[in-house]
Amino acid sequence: MPILSASVGLTRYRVVEEVPDSLIREIPELLSKFAFKDIDHTAEERSFGWVNFDDMLDDKWSVSPPEKGQYFTFSLRLDTRRIQPAVLKKHLQIALNHEMAEAKKEGKNFISRDRKREIKDQVTLKLRARSLPIPAVFDVVWNVPENRLYLATTNAKIMDMFEEYFDNTFQLNLEPLTPFFLAMDKLGEEAVQKLESLDPTIFVG
Amino acid sequence: MDLLLLAERENTLIGQDFLTWLWFKSEIVNGMFETADGEKFMLYLEHRISVQGGDGENVDTATVSAASGNMSEALQGLKTGKKVTRAQIKMEIDENLWQTQVKAEDFTFSGLKTPKVEMKTEEGDDPDGKFLEKIYLIEKCIALFDAVFLEFIKLRISPEWKDEVSKFRSWLRSIEE
Repeated sequence: MPILSASVGLTRYRVVEEVPDSLIREIPELLSKFAFKDIDHTAEERSFGWVNFDDMLDDKWSVSPPEKGQYFTFSLRLDTRRIQPAVLKKHLQIALNHEMAEAKKEGKNFISRDRKREIKDQVTLKLRARSLPIPAVFDVVWNVPENRLYLATTNAKIMDMFEEYFDNTFQLNLEPLTPFFLAMDKLGEEAVQKLESLDPTIFVG
Repeated sequence: MDLLLLAERENTLIGQDFLTWLWFKSEIVNGMFETADGEKFMLYLEHRISVQGGDGENVDTATVSAASGNMSEALQGLKTGKKVTRAQIKMEIDENLWQTQVKAEDFTFSGLKTPKVEMKTEEGDDPDGKFLEKIYLIEKCIALFDAVFLEFIKLRISPEWKDEVSKFRSWLRSIEE
């Protein structure tokens, strides 16, 4: 989801570790190294990686650099091939009918479970190769001096994928600024014990 | 206890206490808040609120979305011990308006709308100008939200929280009449 759109979903993070200057300088290079790889001409089910914030087709940052002011900007692009269950069902049925006809010629009256699974895999692969991957883009803004990071989604699956891929790319751990972590961040270490031992408030009485 | 499990319990507890308190607080101060630097702003809950009570398999949720501003069903929920799990929040400084929906358990913002950023490009414009303006407005929204959260969390861990809860109860009773 583009951050520049009129209505945006947003998840906030902070980087747990200290980010050394040498790593900050390396960000553009690491983004290229872990850039999105196109799967249009393959049968891969999905692919994800970083692309230019200004152009999801730009995986080399030739349109613009990731730096904007004090921010680093990039996007997580995820392409997924989806086969409609009804389409799979139909083509699986065709393949199984064909297999059964062949089996009958050899005097057999059944298809083994293993063979069925094999046929399903083949059909899935064939259909995947014929379907176009659906692209999705989730913007990332990293305010390095303030140690804040924004991901333009509230989808838990995308959040997990992003956190893991960020860690793979930069070797840095992200902490989502959920109420407990935000409270710790605001109040500092000395408040941790108090925060950990809170009882839920009973507002009626 | 495992840190993640603990965080999950604390997130829900702090998040729900915060949004529930925020409803009361924004009503009694007429939406007037202030940042640590003394910047004044308005923050109030909009006419879309979810309240939830019970636990495990017995979770009851009531979501009210009332253009008329009639929140009686959600208030009824509060009176039976439910807490706010999701709220639409509006913030204002002069004519600038922000709007977002906040989820108690993780503080993710959905449908975040900032004051309008002019998207037309004119010759000589800084190509990053729009982005910088937009991100400034997003961070502003977060800063306002955080200012109120900080006020809450300081109070929440202090001995004064008890008094605050008493005030909350009087407020809730006063709406009844």
